[in-house]
Order: sequence, then structure tokens, then C-alpha cells
Amino acid sequence: MPDSIRIDNVKKVFEGRKDAVHAVGPMSLEIAKGEFVSLLGPSGCGKSTILMMVAGLIEATEGRVFIDGNQVTGPQTNIGIVFQSPVLMDWRDVLGNVLLQVEMRKLDREAYEAKATELLTSVGLKDFLHKRPYELSGGMQQRTAFCRALLHDPPLVLMDEPLGALDAMTREQLRRDLERMWLETGKTFVFVTHDIEEAIQLSDRIVLITPRPGKIDRIIKIDLPRPRDLSVVTSPEFARYVSSIKEVFMGYGVM
Amino acid sequence: MTPAGALVFFGLWEAIVDLLKVPSYMVPSPSSIFVQLARKLPYLLRNLWVTGYESYGGFLLAAVIGVPLSLLIAFSPFMRKTFYPGVVALQLVPKIALAPLFITWFGFGMVPKILITFLVCFFPILLNCLLGFASLSKEVTYFARTTTAGGLRTFFLIRLPAALPQIFVGFRWAAVNATVGATVGEWVGGDAGLGYYLQIQTGELHMDIAFATIFVLALLGLSQYYLVRFLERRFIPWHVSQRSNGAAKAF
Amino acid sequence: MLKTLVRSIRTALLPVGALLLFLVLWEVLVRTLKVPRYILPAFSSVLQSLGTNLPALLKHTLVTAEETLCGFAISVLLGIPLAVVVAFSKFMRKTVYPAAVTLEMVPKIAFAPIFVVWLGFQFASKMVVVFLVCFFPILINAVFGFLSLEENLQRFSQSTGASPLRVFWKIRFPAALPEIFVGLKGAAINATVGATIAEWVGGNAGLGYAITSATGMFQTDLALASILVLTAVGLAMYGLVVILEARVLHWHISQRQGEI
Repeated sequence: MPDSIRIDNVKKVFEGRKDAVHAVGPMSLEIAKGEFVSLLGPSGCGKSTILMMVAGLIEATEGRVFIDGNQVTGPQTNIGIVFQSPVLMDWRDVLGNVLLQVEMRKLDREAYEAKATELLTSVGLKDFLHKRPYELSGGMQQRTAFCRALLHDPPLVLMDEPLGALDAMTREQLRRDLERMWLETGKTFVFVTHDIEEAIQLSDRIVLITPRPGKIDRIIKIDLPRPRDLSVVTSPEFARYVSSIKEVFMGYGVM
Repeated sequence: MTPAGALVFFGLWEAIVDLLKVPSYMVPSPSSIFVQLARKLPYLLRNLWVTGYESYGGFLLAAVIGVPLSLLIAFSPFMRKTFYPGVVALQLVPKIALAPLFITWFGFGMVPKILITFLVCFFPILLNCLLGFASLSKEVTYFARTTTAGGLRTFFLIRLPAALPQIFVGFRWAAVNATVGATVGEWVGGDAGLGYYLQIQTGELHMDIAFATIFVLALLGLSQYYLVRFLERRFIPWHVSQRSNGAAKAF
Repeated sequence: MLKTLVRSIRTALLPVGALLLFLVLWEVLVRTLKVPRYILPAFSSVLQSLGTNLPALLKHTLVTAEETLCGFAISVLLGIPLAVVVAFSKFMRKTVYPAAVTLEMVPKIAFAPIFVVWLGFQFASKMVVVFLVCFFPILINAVFGFLSLEENLQRFSQSTGASPLRVFWKIRFPAALPEIFVGLKGAAINATVGATIAEWVGGNAGLGYAITSATGMFQTDLALASILVLTAVGLAMYGLVVILEARVLHWHISQRQGEI
């Protein structure tokens, strides 16, 4: 099975006004097609930077990134991307926001309308197609952002702490939605988070990132059945993963 | 202002002028102003046409030059580094102080007034456009870069709509101050227009006609302001300024 | 330390360079094209005129500065207390406030000739015009500042059981200060303009008067010199408010980040 993403000895140093910040690496990682992989670490460890380097939005200081065998040398466009803030456009309704993805790509808006509607319906926003972003709750806005990231059927979806700004109950709901979307589409999901339970609930593998400079501490394979419903999340196996990961981070003094 | 409040205000005014027998060459009563408004209507309208032409003309010129120029400055790092500080610094120069020079250079006609109005409106429009185009969040630019869209597409689908509210802030300010530019231009050197007419009437102590003229001037200023508000409702109905009923700000 | 100095010089290089280029071009064009002095004098002759007429210009500066400062001061002394009253009285909020907002959009400067008739060619009429120009933005912004107290901050104040006056003094007023200063800065910029225009309408002293008397005698270099001085006065006014703001609002985010 060819690797979907290969991060090869990547290092990132930010040149600042007074000093240089060694943010990430060196680190290497391989992610297989169709995997759900989380980058888990404390705030400021550089996990978002790693994600942006995969997206080609930040350039690596050293090392190379490959997607499907092709080196990343600039912003990648065959991806979907979701941020902590939904970044929706207030001047378009919900449907229009999702369709912006294809309008930006000069694709036929009408051809995608059905799919956009279907995606939005699958996350429970069928009655909100023509509402404006500011009329929606944070969770609903984020769901719209997910649909926008999936509309053009990219093989790879990158998410930078997408549930970070939401309340606990909405997060629970969206985690289930995310898992379902992943199971249905079979895409490669790379997910950045600082929430241990979230990473365990969603991922096939979790990459633990050390505090700055962010390097890989270890990779934990999560052997839990899917879908990971309430019974799985409250199981002793789940709790064991939680405590072992917490131990790692306590060792770093970040917990 | 509620109609009731206005009635009370004008009623009191009328009463005070009447009771204290204030001479009309000092403070005219609302009724005499109204009478003159009707009597001098042809003159007022003729002058309104002149000042309106100057005021709207200068404003439109400022918009037509200011908006594209702001694009040039906003999207070229070289232009931005060279000219932006200058534009900000020039904001503090009282442009209307140049009015007498414009009269020297261009004479008494409508052209210098239009140019003065243009100067007054140009900088607020330019600065607000620049502000609008500069304030796009990092995540939005990241999203745009992942969509294969080029600069032009990103501009029309995202940058421009996002900047419109701030652009309109500049238009609002310019609309309010355009009439000032035209009026002052006429005072410094003119032979027509509401400002000129006002000066003549106050000079002859016809305060009732003077107030009537100011009233028409005020209407002209308000018309420009409400034109911008109307355009806002058409072009940025989605923006928070059009939705909520917040308190007003002057700056 | 040295690094920041070098960087500041670097960022200033392009705009200052552009300015110098502009001035040089001005000088060269005027000389080579033999532009008549009364249309556009060389920058050097403007500076020359500034030097020659300095005493007279300074006298005019004092006049305009006095008009501006007094008008501004009175608009602050009347505007802010009135804003307090408007913010606290529902009645005033429904009557005075909408009236002020509407009047803000009316070209108040149009009243200048009226005030010259009522108050004469002297100091008083100019001061009143400056007052008119400054008063409304200060009032409106102050009211906005007083009214927009964050909801949770309001709830906290209520939970302390303090009287409205105490709440106002300890919380509302300091919280409104940034917005008040926005109004003050806007008014400061326009104050000198108001004085200048009032002098044009009916005055016999001041920088505005100096400009028109110079253009009247086709002494364009003197006119430009007067405009330069006027700009400096306006800058000084604005600068004063900025300095005051930096001291009063030293805690505010706008002062901490070093960006205006």
C-alpha cells in the first residue's frame, strides 16, 4: 500500500526579529492511505506547523514532505482543510459557503449543488441551507466547514484543532460525525489536537509530539473497534490508552 | 429624531423669537425661514444644482480614483512600503487649507470646487479601502491557497466582499464631508452655489434666507450620506452594521 | 538596540526617499519649466518665505491656536458631561442623542457665516465654529463609549451592590475612555480646519486669514508657507491628544502593542 504522506527528516526554524525559534523536528513520519492519524501534543509544540508543512502552506527549513510520491513544494490543492475557526463568508448562505470550494476551482456550481446539499443534510443542516453563518451556532458553522472541505472529493483532509473552540457536548457530537464521515468516505484524515480522549476516540494511530521543538515521542496504535460509540469510549481498554498517554505527557511536565 | 421632538423644538423656537421680539436680522423664526424657503425656491434650486454638481462630482472622482489606487497599493509590497506612510502622514495635512490655492490655479468656476471636494474625500476613501483589503485573517488566505484559485478569483470571491464594509465606512465619511468641501470652495472664491448664496445673504443680513439656504445645504449633505447607506443595504446586506441596531459612532 | 535602529532606518528609506525625490522633482521642474512664481513657487522659495515672514506667521499661529484650543476645550468640557447625562437618561437618549447623530451628518461649518454676523470678526465667532466642529464627534463617541459596557461587566457591577454613581466612576468611565479618546483625536484633527475656515469667512487674523491674504496678493510661496505652519499646528494638536492618551490609557491594548 503506497504511503499517502511521507515526512522525511523535516525541521522548521522560524527566523524572528531577535532570535530564531526552533519549532519542529527533525522528525519523520509515514501515513498510509485511508488512515485516521492524530498529531497530539501540548500547546505550542509545533503540531499545527507540521500540518501546515504537509499542506505546503509553510515551507520546511530542512527535509522534505511527499504526498503520493510527489514532493510538496507549494500550497497543496488536492486537499480539504479545516481550521479551529470556521472561516465562513458572511455574505454567502450555508450552501453558498460550501459551494465556494468549487467556485474557487472554476468548477460548475450547479453540478455540485446536489452533493453539497447531501453533505449538509448528512450533518443535520438540511433546514439551514439558506441561513447565514452568523445565524448558526459554532458547532453548526464548523460542520459547514467540514462539508466545504469534502465537497471536491479530496483524498486527503487536514484538520487543525477543528473542535477546539466548541463546548464539550458539541464536541462529542462532532466527533461522532467526523468518524462517520471518515468511515463513509475512506479518505486519509490528519487531525491535530491537544485533547487526549479525542485523539483516542478518532484515530487509527496517534503521533505524540514533544513540547517545543516538536519531535515525535512515540506513535501509538489504537486497537479499538469501530465505530467508537459510548461503550467503546467508556471501556477499560480506552481508559488504559488514556492513562498511558497521560503518563507520557506528565513526564514532560506539561500535565 | 422623533417628529414630536422636532415639533416641540421648532414650536419653542418660534415662541421665543416671537415673545422676545428678536429682530429677524439676528435670529429668524422658523415660520419666516419656511416662507423664504418657498419664495426663494428658484434661486435655491439653481444654486443647489451648482453645489450638488461640485459635491457629487468631487465625491465620485475620489471614489473612482481612490478605489483602484488602493488596490495598487494594497497588493504591491513595493507600492505599499513607499506610499502608505505618505498617505497616512498626508491625512494630518488639512487639505481644505489648499482651497485658496485651487482658486488661484483654476479660477472661480466649478472645477476648483470639484477638485477641493475630491481632495477632501480622497484620503478617507483611500485609507479605508487599504484597511479593508489588508485585514484578511490568516486562515482565510490559507483556505484560498488550497483551492487552486488564482489571485483574480480569490479577489472577486473573497477579498473584495470581505473589504466592502470597510470601503463603505470610507464612503460614508466622504459623503458627509463632500458638501463641506464644495461650500468652503465657494466661500473662498465662487460666483454661484449655495455656499456663495449663503455668504451673500448673511452679508445683507437676510438671516431668514440664510437659514433656508443652510437647510437646503443640509439636505444636500444628507442626500449623499443616505445614498451611501442605500448602496450599503444593496451591497452589504449581510454585514453586522446593516443587521444590528447598535448605537452610532462618529469615527 | 542597534538592530531595531537599522530596521527603522530601512523601513523609512523608501517613503522618505520618495518624499525627497518628490521635493527634488518639484524644485527642478519649477526651475527648468520656468513656472511663474504666483502659480507654483519652488520649494526653496516656500522655505525662504517661511523664514522671512516668521514673526508675522508666529503671530497668526497664536491667534489660530487660541481659537482652536479654546473651542476644543469648551467642546470637551460641555461634551463629556452631556454625554454622561445622555447615557444615563433614557429620555435624553431618545431625544438629544438621535438629534446629535443627525446633526453630525449636517455640514455644521455652513453656520460659520451666521456666527460671524452674530459674533463679529473677532475671536468669538471662530471659537464657536471650532466648538461646533468638535462638539458632536466628542459627544457621540463618548455616549457610545458609556453605553457599550460589556454585559458581564455590567452584571459584575450590579453584584457588588454599588450605587450607579460609584459604578460609573469606577467602571463605566474608565472603560469608556478609549472610545472617548477616539472622538477626541477625530475632533483634534478637524479643529484647526474649523478655525481656518471660520477665518476665511470673516476674520482679520490667524493662519487661515494669512493664507487667503497671501493668495489674494498672488504670493503663493507665502500661502504655501502658511499652510505648512497650519499643518504643524494641526499635528501639534493631534500630538497633544496622543500624548495625553498615552498617559491616561497606558493600560490599554492600543498603547501596549505600539500600533495606532
